[in-house]
Amino acid sequence: MARGFGTPSTGEKTVRYLLLVLVLLITVGPFLWQLSTSLKGPGEDVYARTPSFLPSDLTFANYAKVADTVPVWTYAANSLVVAAIAVVGNAVGATLAGFALARLRFRGVRLVLGLFLATLVLPGEVTIVSQYVTVRSLGLTDTLTGVALPGAIAMLNVLLMRTAFAAVPPELDAAALVDGANAWQRLVHVGLPNVRGMLSVVVIFTFIGAWDDFLWPLIVLSDPGKYTLTVGLQYLNGTFSANPRVIAAGTMIAFLPIVAVFATLQRFFFRGVEEGAVKG
Amino acid sequence: MRSTHWARTTLAAIAAATLAGCGLGDPNSSDGPVSATGEVKGKVSIQTWALKPKFTDYMDGVIDAFEKKYPGVQVEWLDQPGEGYSEKVLSQAAGGTLPDVVNLPPDFALPLAGQSMLLDVAEADPKLADDYVEGGIDAYRFAGQDGAYGYPWYLNTDVNYWNSELLGKYGLDARKPPGDLDELIAQARTVKEKSGGAAYLMSRKPGLGDLADAGVKIMADDGKSFTFNTPEAAAVLDKYRSAFKDGLLPKDVLTETYAGNAKLFNAGTVAWTTGGGNYITSLATDNPTLAPKVVPSAAMGTPPLYVQGLSVAKNSKNRAAAVALARWVTNAENQAAFARLTSIFPSTKASATDPFFNQSDGGNAGNAKVIAFTSLAKARILQPVEVNDAMKTVVNQQIALAISGETGSKQALDTAVSRCNQLLKG
Amino acid sequence: MTHRRWFTPWLLAGPAVIWLAVFNLWPAVNTVILSFTNAKPLGGGHFTGLANYRRALSDDQLVDALVNSIVYLAVCLPLLTLLPLLLALLVERKLPGITFFRTAFYTPVVASAVVVALIWGWVLDDRGLLNGLLGQFGLTDRPVSFLTDRWLLLFSAIALTTWKGLGYYMVIYLSALGNVGRELHEAAAVDGASALRRFWHVTIPGVRPTMLLISVLISVSALRVFSELYVLSNGTGGPGGRDMSVVMLIQMYSRGFSGHIGYASALSLLLFVITIGPMLLLARLGRKAA
Repeated sequence: MARGFGTPSTGEKTVRYLLLVLVLLITVGPFLWQLSTSLKGPGEDVYARTPSFLPSDLTFANYAKVADTVPVWTYAANSLVVAAIAVVGNAVGATLAGFALARLRFRGVRLVLGLFLATLVLPGEVTIVSQYVTVRSLGLTDTLTGVALPGAIAMLNVLLMRTAFAAVPPELDAAALVDGANAWQRLVHVGLPNVRGMLSVVVIFTFIGAWDDFLWPLIVLSDPGKYTLTVGLQYLNGTFSANPRVIAAGTMIAFLPIVAVFATLQRFFFRGVEEGAVKG
Repeated sequence: MRSTHWARTTLAAIAAATLAGCGLGDPNSSDGPVSATGEVKGKVSIQTWALKPKFTDYMDGVIDAFEKKYPGVQVEWLDQPGEGYSEKVLSQAAGGTLPDVVNLPPDFALPLAGQSMLLDVAEADPKLADDYVEGGIDAYRFAGQDGAYGYPWYLNTDVNYWNSELLGKYGLDARKPPGDLDELIAQARTVKEKSGGAAYLMSRKPGLGDLADAGVKIMADDGKSFTFNTPEAAAVLDKYRSAFKDGLLPKDVLTETYAGNAKLFNAGTVAWTTGGGNYITSLATDNPTLAPKVVPSAAMGTPPLYVQGLSVAKNSKNRAAAVALARWVTNAENQAAFARLTSIFPSTKASATDPFFNQSDGGNAGNAKVIAFTSLAKARILQPVEVNDAMKTVVNQQIALAISGETGSKQALDTAVSRCNQLLKG
Repeated sequence: MTHRRWFTPWLLAGPAVIWLAVFNLWPAVNTVILSFTNAKPLGGGHFTGLANYRRALSDDQLVDALVNSIVYLAVCLPLLTLLPLLLALLVERKLPGITFFRTAFYTPVVASAVVVALIWGWVLDDRGLLNGLLGQFGLTDRPVSFLTDRWLLLFSAIALTTWKGLGYYMVIYLSALGNVGRELHEAAAVDGASALRRFWHVTIPGVRPTMLLISVLISVSALRVFSELYVLSNGTGGPGGRDMSVVMLIQMYSRGFSGHIGYASALSLLLFVITIGPMLLLARLGRKAA
């Protein structure tokens, strides 16, 4: 039973938990505030100078109201389609490219790498209209594919995967080369098992990016029936009607899948550390 | 190196293709006859801004009635969320996919009209001036362009709102509100002194609207340059500057936008805000304990006029139906029904005598509605439509600098004017 | 046997390169071209030569923005390279409830901008939590203007960036830590090396490539900072607009129907050139260390 080297002493455990709780207090505030607002009844002031943290009039009515006003399931399904395309695209595209850039020698590799890095730097603010024109010329306006396409291989993810492949001990790869393995075999048998942690990071970043994006889906889609969840939830924020409790409930609904994805995938980060542990 | 050569060739090819396609397509401006006569039938689309879900039933009713009146016409209704609307309309315009009828506030309509993407409805509909109030139509007439580029839809203005409880606590009466800036500052001093700085009366920076109200000419008549760096304007800023120095306004006012003071008012920190006729109604959801304590009064000076309208895309494939639809949605009957659902005011002449708007149910929300309605008669558009978001930001920044005392009022206004002129000419 | 065919690398990198060309290079080239024109979002644009670049040279808001960027970079780079690594080490160890902590630490990354603005407003404004505490302990006799002073506003934004970045970079570090051999750690532990020595001689070398990448990412995002300054100043950029970042300027100029796309493009390219510098420097450092 490998359970980390040397089970931590009680003293160390206490220090660790103290630190964990300290960081927790700093990081989790907004989340809790949002949760508490979403559970407050109509009789409570949400913008008062010192809002009470615990709802005095606990209710789930705000969640029902969200489901009433916005077709949550349809929009969530649309978001899921976009996120799925983006996740698959990035997992495959960034892995292949990251491997090629880190492990294979070919002419132009440094130029390509330089270009990948350079595009990280160029601000996207000015390019959104020309991006739209590109998607339109591909005939993909008002489709979920059109929403997912530009981000389906993100340059950042290519760089992340390249870094992960570069960190694989060269001895492993060398052995495979001696055995006469081709590029594909090296990728599958040597590379992939050692980059699962980064791959799950890429999946999480991509999922969250696709799930949270607002402006781009709004621009590409014109049929409100095809809206993604983030865009659709904006209907809660109408011209003559905006109830902060309902908006908070909407945000929580959009937030839950992210938490679920994160909580599921986070254990893959620790493959190297926890390998062999039967049960945590 | 070969790779650099390869790169150069590719770049050249891409550049050539980009120039040919020119990235940002030319708007398809077909200058056909402007006539909008013809049979009203076929498909027509209308785009509104943030009306769902509260007004879904209302809009469905209006559209059903239209389809009943003109058998053979099919209306497609698109409602866009409140956020990101300008980006949405912009990409529609750039992509040539504007719906036939679009809800555009005047400052959105101006650049689209400048690119001849909108129909001159004054030409297409000779009876426009007979049915709609002048102020509404004027909002869609732009300096340097002939015609009117939208049917005015609903109007609104600002009303003063006072927190009577807070004022009462410091010996002031919400029923005797200050009548001008000097009185306002005097009362603010009372609130500050009696509350020991815990509460405020004022929490809003002046904007172009306040300068216009003080008689400052914001823009030259041809709409080509700004002129608000006058001594009168500087005098207004000086008053605010000394009030700020005396601690009569919260410090955060320096980085607040227009909505900032409503936030402080909702939180009960500040005793005065301005807002549309329906402000108390929406406050009732945010801060239900505060809403009944709010007392409305008419705006100081000239009330601002806010206009929403429906424009018709010039390249609409179904112009006759589009004009008919825009007119239908904005007609007196439909607007009056809309106004009964929320506190907005119709832009049709027929509604001016509607007793509904002149009668309050006695509650403070009802009083606010009546005050807003009577204010509309003398309301003017205080901030020129040429003022876009970038200009608003620049003006806001310079006014904040002047009020903070880091710069002279005149100097700040000079900077603001020169930056706005730069933004205007491009 | 498909041993070492020349096109294999291109086959693997192909999709990414196509995406690079269509969705990144193409708009980038477009940006270059537009920077020499007076283009607006709607309708044409004429060639205006270097006019946009000359305008940038005389834009005093750009000077402020560049100063802000440099301060941002100087503070954020060390903070965000180190703190998330320490945090990753803290949550790496399997302890009861650790999944909860890991997930909770990540929430700032996905919290909506509106909520973040509200919360930080309450902490930092004149009557906020922090000023309340400072006053209570008698450290200050009047509220500190965290949100309206030219420099304090900048540092408040840096604090916000750090807060948001903790979880984000923690995740990247975690995935890299997984690859630092446990054997090495154990060997070092058996040798009786102190925690600090193990950190310095085992952990740091193990995550060096990731650390390098992360510092590049931090530099890029520090120079491109937008939302933190925007949110804390309510989009105003502070009194006189002195707390605007370059991206805020770009956004201000490019947005809307009459946006100055040409000028915004020129600013984008200037920012691009400025950002390349620290990246090359970091790349050189990395090569030296390797």
